[in-house]
Amino acid sequence: MRSDTLNLTWIYTKKIMKAWFQYRSDALLRSVTVFLREATGIIVIYFTLLKFDSLNGWNMYEMFFLYSLLFLTYGIMIIFFTGLRDFGRTVRDGSFDRYILRPRGLLFQIIFANADWFAAVGHGGLGVVLFLISAQKVGIEWNVWYAVYYMFAIIGGVLIQGAIFLFLATLNIYLLETSSLKELFYFNMRKFAGYPVSLFQKPIQILMIYVVPFAFVNYFPSQYLLRKDDMQQYPEIFLYLTPVIGIGMYIAAYFFWRYSIRFYKSSGN
Amino acid sequence: MSLIEVSNISKSFKVNKRKSGVTGMLANLLVPKYEIRQAVKDISFSIEKGEMVGFIGPNGAGKSTTIKMLSGILYPDNGKICVGGKIPYKQRKEYVGNIGVVFGQKSQLQWDLPVIDSLELLKAIYRIPDEKYHKNLERFVEILDMGSFLHQPVRQLSLGQRMRADIVAALIHSPQIVFFDEPTIGVDVVGKETIRNFIRELNAEDEITMLFTTHDMQDIEKVCERLIVIDKGEKIYDGSLLGIREKYGTTRQLDVEFARMEQIAPIENVEIVELDALDGKKKRFVFENKKVAINDLMNYILQNYQVRDISISEPEIESIIRKIYNGEVVTV
Repeated sequence: MRSDTLNLTWIYTKKIMKAWFQYRSDALLRSVTVFLREATGIIVIYFTLLKFDSLNGWNMYEMFFLYSLLFLTYGIMIIFFTGLRDFGRTVRDGSFDRYILRPRGLLFQIIFANADWFAAVGHGGLGVVLFLISAQKVGIEWNVWYAVYYMFAIIGGVLIQGAIFLFLATLNIYLLETSSLKELFYFNMRKFAGYPVSLFQKPIQILMIYVVPFAFVNYFPSQYLLRKDDMQQYPEIFLYLTPVIGIGMYIAAYFFWRYSIRFYKSSGN
Repeated sequence: MSLIEVSNISKSFKVNKRKSGVTGMLANLLVPKYEIRQAVKDISFSIEKGEMVGFIGPNGAGKSTTIKMLSGILYPDNGKICVGGKIPYKQRKEYVGNIGVVFGQKSQLQWDLPVIDSLELLKAIYRIPDEKYHKNLERFVEILDMGSFLHQPVRQLSLGQRMRADIVAALIHSPQIVFFDEPTIGVDVVGKETIRNFIRELNAEDEITMLFTTHDMQDIEKVCERLIVIDKGEKIYDGSLLGIREKYGTTRQLDVEFARMEQIAPIENVEIVELDALDGKKKRFVFENKKVAINDLMNYILQNYQVRDISISEPEIESIIRKIYNGEVVTV
């Protein structure tokens, strides 16, 4: 990154913060609300597991560990990809025309003009809390190698989800409205990803591994550290693929974006 | 070679043809029907450096589409645009640093932040050096009288203030070419005058080339020397403001107030309109100045009737344009 790009990134961030703090209490509440909203899902799991002990061999803390990866990656991703998530609106209200008129990279502008730090604190914060609760109790003996693996798994998980957002955002150029697709392929899949993938029937497993590969965001990385029995039905190599799939998907989505941008039709006045 | 060269550009859009009603909605979902709407048809023109060009036409004539192609937002389907040696839609990043665009309908300012914050962001985006930024800012703020609201959040500004701020935002990086898309829309008379003066001054002093779309003919009359009229995607006039009067504004009208009520016998090629239906003293004589010599007509009236007052007028540019839009004037 050139220093002046870095400078612009900083100024974007400063302006976003300033805009948010125009409504100070709302800004803080936003982080809290996101945290609580997502935490309700966890509370449901908690009560379920109080009754059943385990889900397909996964106990409560292991489930929390699985969840923590989901929230950590989403928290980091949402800082950078909120602009892509809301890209449909940007296209419809004509703001995208303005990005085109400025001498900077389009993706760069979409990302940094819309970075949502507060939602990120909510999601990421929950991820950190769940990690702290579970990491001790799931019997992982942390060493340097595990830490490095964990870091790469998070980067890979962020990129996988980012690539899905970028792909869905690109579809907006053709369709103008894709929020139901996003609901179907992203947010529903993400709900499934809160459980071990082995729990589901074959078609959903195929979907989660090969189509919208959420299994690589949290299930396989958790398996590498936890080594549960249900891993035996999947090839061992899956434990290591997360960063590769992340980078691969992101590059593919990026080229799809680059290719599609010339078909952009401005929304008109 | 001119600064802006536009040759034979066309652009069409695929428009979803919607049927009404529930069955229509279902049919539309299953078998969408599209129709091709030609927004711009084979338009060519060139603009020299420092020119100030008014770009007018009725709603949906293709003005905004043309501006969007010129500014690099849209690709033309056919034809070529070259501005200062660059192709807008292909060399976007190198090109846009040199242009400014004001969309009167769509602000580029940060809604929740004071005006100055948006300008600071633009400073970073366009990599404007400190000295140039402060010089431009000081100058614009003074001419546009913005000192009072520079530190107010945009959401609290009046439409006229917001428009002035938007114009500064489009010019803060000293672009060589500026496109204005309805820059005075919704602004009151005083505000419009301030904006026009500013634009004129900038054009005169800095030799900035400007292209202007508007529905306000006053804007055109007070600001532009040259006019391009487009209708249904085609260029129908390109020339000076004076020229359009000479070419299409050939109607003259003679308003006469008579000393008493008169019945005027029909005159060949002259239309007589009653201006005051009650007492029949005021009448308007409308005629083509090519067909009727004004001297003859005036002599005829003065010799035959008692006249108290008489005045000749040319049609306003607005009514000429309206006639062109309505197809009353056959264009060549």
